[in-house]
Amino acid sequence: MAFVFSSTSLVRSETSEKLLFEKNSLYQYISVVEDTVKKERYVRNQKRDYAQGGILVNAPDKLLFEFTQLVFISLAFLDREPKDVLFVGLGAGAMPKYFNKYYPDGMAEIAEIDPDMVSVARKYFFFKENERVKVHAEDGRIFIKRSKKKYDMIFLDAYQNDYIPFHLTTTEFLREVKSKLKEDGVVVSNITSPFRNKLFDSMVMTYREVFPHVYLFKGKKSANFVFVATAGSRKKDRDTIVARAEKVQELKKFDIDLPDIASRYAYSSEYAYEAAKVLTDDFAPVNLYRFQKSGAP
Amino acid sequence: MIYLAVFFCGAIVMSFEILGSRVLAPNFGSSVFVWGSLISVFLAGLSAGYYLGGRIADINPSARKLSLMLLVPGILLLTFPAYSGPLSDWIFMKDLGVRLSPLIAATILFLLPSIFLGIVSPYTAKLMICSVHTSGKTIGTLYALSTFGSIIGTLITSFYLITIAGVHMLIMGQGVLLVAIALPLYFMNLQCATPVSSSSK
Repeated sequence: MAFVFSSTSLVRSETSEKLLFEKNSLYQYISVVEDTVKKERYVRNQKRDYAQGGILVNAPDKLLFEFTQLVFISLAFLDREPKDVLFVGLGAGAMPKYFNKYYPDGMAEIAEIDPDMVSVARKYFFFKENERVKVHAEDGRIFIKRSKKKYDMIFLDAYQNDYIPFHLTTTEFLREVKSKLKEDGVVVSNITSPFRNKLFDSMVMTYREVFPHVYLFKGKKSANFVFVATAGSRKKDRDTIVARAEKVQELKKFDIDLPDIASRYAYSSEYAYEAAKVLTDDFAPVNLYRFQKSGAP
Repeated sequence: MIYLAVFFCGAIVMSFEILGSRVLAPNFGSSVFVWGSLISVFLAGLSAGYYLGGRIADINPSARKLSLMLLVPGILLLTFPAYSGPLSDWIFMKDLGVRLSPLIAATILFLLPSIFLGIVSPYTAKLMICSVHTSGKTIGTLYALSTFGSIIGTLITSFYLITIAGVHMLIMGQGVLLVAIALPLYFMNLQCATPVSSSSK
């Protein structure tokens, strides 16, 4: 019975998915797939696995994936409107698009290594560049090192297939990021952690090594964590963040629930596992750590 | 001993190349240009080394001279952490563009050691041929050992070493290994004097 059940659901899921585009780019396999029943469109790097991004075809401005909503909690860590923001990793372009919609006066820059990803976001995901949304086809780390600008917020969401390239995980990189933040600037990072693995432990410790304060927000529907770190030395407690989230929500009338995300506030000390290794340019076995269980109790 | 040297040099070339990608990433990223630069510089070094090694091998080759030529990359790798950072930073500052920057960096950091590692193959071939007379078999064995060493070097580095130790430590370890191979070769009494060669007619 179970067998029949699973085989029919398999057939159904395959017939409802339509392949719109596929290509082997310089960096990855890219496919754009549309679920014709759910009316959702995804961009993937593997044949069938986690999507890198996606949209609702009938409401392309909505943030479909949970992590794309979670990262906007960074707004509650800033006591003013963000002006200059940087996104490292474009995906389907949902986050910069959303930012531009609610902060049309802000300047959004995106560093995306793969030019084909930019074309895909434009063609299939309603992503548009304009004088306030600019894409740089460059390695994120090099873009940050070369940038002369300082940012209010830096969003880190660069994935190669299902892992973060090692040179975007290290203390040296995070110091470079920190040096490009304004005094009260915020960095927010999407960390996929299917279970509490060694990579997660090391990422927590690496962020804590570089930033005075690190906060975590856990996904409810997905295995994503969002790390928020501030350049400033003042710690923000839960009440402050919830209050600020409510205020920003009221002001901006987002279609996401910022106060709900704020209620998942956790200070990073809750997740700190002192024995975990801090990642550096010299030592960062990110590919292995993803598959190793956490040593934390 | 010669066979061992050939095997380890093959392993070190590839291991060093894999680690090279990690050395370049902080300043030049992991773009396709970085990989292209890295691989072509190593191949350029090897081909120059093969050519030079062949020429040098015709002038009274000896295990002692081979030992000295292994000490050069040995010392370069042993001291690699001391100069790789400053040199990379310096090239980064020059900002020669997304293609030229990693190409120049790879050339400065990796060309010289790979030339010397390339010299090893033809040089050892000549050394072995003048002491043994089955030259085809000898050359074949040396080629096979060198490439087999490269396979082991690639696998061990990417599967294992990189997950247990830092990049700088590993490169210095390779330097130590090269010096350790060079030392016994220095005291080995293996040479062939050019006039002895019967094919000089």
